[in-house]
Amino acid sequence: MTLAAQHVRSLTSSQARKRADGLLARIYRHRADYLYIAPALGVMLLVIAYPIAYTFYLSFFSTPPSLAMSEKIFVGFENYTRILAARSFHEVTLNTAIWTVASTFFAFVLGFGAAIVLNREFIGRGLLRGILLVPYVISAVAASYVWRWIYHSDFGVIGAVAMQIGLTDRPINFLDNVDWVLPSLIVVNVWKEFPFAMIMMLAGLQTVPDQLLRAAQVDGAGVWQRFWHVTFPHLKGVTLITVLLLFVANLNHFTIPWIMTGGGPAGASEIWITAIYQLAFGRIQFGLASAYSVILFLAMIVIGYFYVRALTRGDDRRDA
Amino acid sequence: MSTAIATVPTAGRRQTGARGWTITGWIFLVLLLLFAFLPMLWMLLTSVKTQFGALQYPPAWIPTEVTFEQYHRLLSPTNDVGHEFLGYLWNSVWISAATTVLSVMIAVPAAYAFSRFRFPGRKWLFFSVLFRNMFPAVVFLMPLFVMMRFLGLVNTQASLILTYLTFGLPLSIWLLKGFYDNIPIQLEQAARIDGATRFQAFMLVVMPLSAPGIVATAIYSFITAWNEYVYALTFLNDKSKLTLPVGLQRFFTEYATNWPGLMAASFIMSVPVVLMFLILQKYFVRALTEGAVKS
Repeated sequence: MTLAAQHVRSLTSSQARKRADGLLARIYRHRADYLYIAPALGVMLLVIAYPIAYTFYLSFFSTPPSLAMSEKIFVGFENYTRILAARSFHEVTLNTAIWTVASTFFAFVLGFGAAIVLNREFIGRGLLRGILLVPYVISAVAASYVWRWIYHSDFGVIGAVAMQIGLTDRPINFLDNVDWVLPSLIVVNVWKEFPFAMIMMLAGLQTVPDQLLRAAQVDGAGVWQRFWHVTFPHLKGVTLITVLLLFVANLNHFTIPWIMTGGGPAGASEIWITAIYQLAFGRIQFGLASAYSVILFLAMIVIGYFYVRALTRGDDRRDA
Repeated sequence: MSTAIATVPTAGRRQTGARGWTITGWIFLVLLLLFAFLPMLWMLLTSVKTQFGALQYPPAWIPTEVTFEQYHRLLSPTNDVGHEFLGYLWNSVWISAATTVLSVMIAVPAAYAFSRFRFPGRKWLFFSVLFRNMFPAVVFLMPLFVMMRFLGLVNTQASLILTYLTFGLPLSIWLLKGFYDNIPIQLEQAARIDGATRFQAFMLVVMPLSAPGIVATAIYSFITAWNEYVYALTFLNDKSKLTLPVGLQRFFTEYATNWPGLMAASFIMSVPVVLMFLILQKYFVRALTEGAVKS
């Protein structure tokens, strides 16, 4: 028998076996494979699956501020109704929406712009890319303090420059002003995140086939036409993933708002995450905070569904 | 003849368009560089000012008097402030290192299995691993806090290492799987035909090829653990056990007006990760974008 024939035979027989076997038999045959992932799954169950399940469970209880978990009282959906009815919930939700959408939008636009510029060959491109990536790596804590200093009401450099060039006649109190605080935080967040969008989109841009662009050029397509009809359709997949990842990161972002304002002044920069933290570890209301987390969690599942779909598209094709 | 006439003006227009685009591009790039770089420059410039110099109005871009006093204070172990700060630094170093080693050790076999084997439930399990990235740390904080109390781990650094695996592992598994996917399976098959066992084929063929991937993954884990704030804030209360991000906050509240000191501490904290990142940028960027651009 030739090698090819052998190969065909083993293929068909393995397919036939796969169809004939039950799931249990297949699991049994692959039992050695599971050893490789067992440690990872063990850790994941302990520190991920259990916490999620426990959060759901805890969201139906009223918990004593003493944190004595044996004294909790079952309250059904009361935690949920209390949160959803609170006026502050609607304000916080509005802030969260503004924070998440604006941060994602500006970080993406800026990052994509940077990627387009860096996609051209020029001397020092690697160095420039390195410098532009730094905000993304430095710690959010350090970044928050620097920006607090930059925004400082008396000695902040932005306020001083704005006064020197005559934009304003007295220092702006960026972080203590209800109207200024959220946009000011968004600027910091965009500063921190645009490099992420930049690397993702740059990687995407490098997969656009040159021949296609040249062919379009020969056909007389201008810069914008080439971008719109050739480059952009090619970037759909990576754009979707980048935007989703940014969106999720922003919805989950804690450090910058917490260190810079702690949700203040008067709740003007309070978002879901900081509100949950405040409820749990400021007011020691684990039950309420858990219900709040579950609401966030459900929002995440909807986004997660699209995320996994975006990610699996390529994988399916390869497996087929 | 007619085609020639038609082509010339088009080419001319295209060139003008291209030149205009370049100028806009350069202006954009310069503004972007300023935006990205000035805050960090300001951090550095403030850290070498005297406290008096930092509170000058209007602020001076170039410090009138340069001093390394803050760095000296932070980095000398005999000084009270330095002693405290170096303690935080050391805690951050070893906690991040321990997290990195553990998550890479657990992630390597898992990622390899997800990349190579076709066991039932493979996809389902892989995406449940990925799902972790969807959830905010704060959601895990309460149940883990309760769990750590039950295990008697609150206020121990072990609780942090265990917790850091929640994001270290999924990330490592995802990144490493991307690297393994790119190593042709034929290389292993060839080794197997030459008589190597599956384990030998893995150690002798796959491991060397995936070394850059492992390095990138390790660095990514290290940086995330190094920068982590919210768990460290919640799980630890002993001053001597804190990591840098939380230590920095104590620093800020205790020495509220010492902005040069805070900036110097932030700068010292940023240097290791920025250096690590810049040196291994190529692998790092590849690890980050691996998988994302496949489709």
